[in-house]
Amino acid sequence: MPEDDFDIQGFARDINELLILSALRSEPKHGYQIVLDIENESNGLFRFRHGTLYPILHRLEKEGLIRGTWSKDVGRKKKVYSLTGKGRRHLSGETGRVEDVVSRLVRVLRGPDQAPA
Amino acid sequence: MNSGPVRVFLPVIRRLEGALTVPIPSRVRILRELEDDLEALRARLEAEGVAPPEAVRRALEALAPDAASLSRLADLHTTRYHRSTRRLGSDRLKLLERSALAVATASVLVVETTILVRGDLLRHASPFLWLVVACGSVLFALVGAKVFELWIKGDHRRPERGIGTILWLAGLTLVAGFGGVMVDLIRMAGILERSPELATTLVPVWLVRDCTLLSVSILLAGAGCLGWMVLTQWLSLVSEDRLEFLDLGGHFTSPSRRHHHERALA
Repeated sequence: MPEDDFDIQGFARDINELLILSALRSEPKHGYQIVLDIENESNGLFRFRHGTLYPILHRLEKEGLIRGTWSKDVGRKKKVYSLTGKGRRHLSGETGRVEDVVSRLVRVLRGPDQAPA
Repeated sequence: MNSGPVRVFLPVIRRLEGALTVPIPSRVRILRELEDDLEALRARLEAEGVAPPEAVRRALEALAPDAASLSRLADLHTTRYHRSTRRLGSDRLKLLERSALAVATASVLVVETTILVRGDLLRHASPFLWLVVACGSVLFALVGAKVFELWIKGDHRRPERGIGTILWLAGLTLVAGFGGVMVDLIRMAGILERSPELATTLVPVWLVRDCTLLSVSILLAGAGCLGWMVLTQWLSLVSEDRLEFLDLGGHFTSPSRRHHHERALA
């Protein structure tokens, strides 16, 4: 990864996208289920507040990484999101990138003295 | 949705509807999704033992978009036209749009005239034909402007504005055509009364002239009415859906209309 390209704010935004993609990895979900699952699986560390979920969901849908479909449930229309093949590939590739960034960050934070042998 | 249980989040949804500046169909889809999620999250929290007021508060805190989220949603759901012209100032854009409308009107006028010239229908044209052609050009430009506003620009702040004018103008085109034919007939009758020997040369010419006038006015008015009908039907579907969703008095007048509406939305 070229160091010049790294954008810390973009990285934080990407994390939110990846959290949503990972929440959809196992099965299609409604928006509120995505919020709850991310919160539960991260023990409350990652929380979506003030509707920040929807702009991300709708952008991912526009980019073809997730697919939103309306289903009828007890007379009400509900929107369910599922991961597309493109989204799955994106998640897999970006997970590797996040691992790389985090491992570099940890290396910097620990300093050369505490680096593992 | 109206006949179901009490919609706890309806006031919030109505408030958000006023703040979400995207085309009506997108607005309704976004808010419908939001309300369903809010209701589902509230129900789940209550099932977990959270007190109802607290469940509502927590659902709203998690899912109800704040101004920043609404702005991002509006950016995402805005039209391609709006995105591509965002850099222009509103005054400059308005000037450009008005200029484009004037050019479109002139172009329609040129096309109509060219068709009439090619059909050799202007040699003995009635003076009323020009009035009809002018009305038709404005009519086409108005339909085009409305189509542009609703479907390309996605400006749904006052969607009904100008729709009635299209119908009035179509009516005026038709009245100009029929009125012209009546005036022409009266004038021809006057000439023939004074000089009956002109009948063999005058009548065929005036027949062609009035048939042209009548056909052109019927054709233009018909096309204008068709445009009006398509716009009105679309607006009616979209507005009914919005009013029904927001529980603002929207209703379907017949089951067939509801069926048609559901098919259109699907």
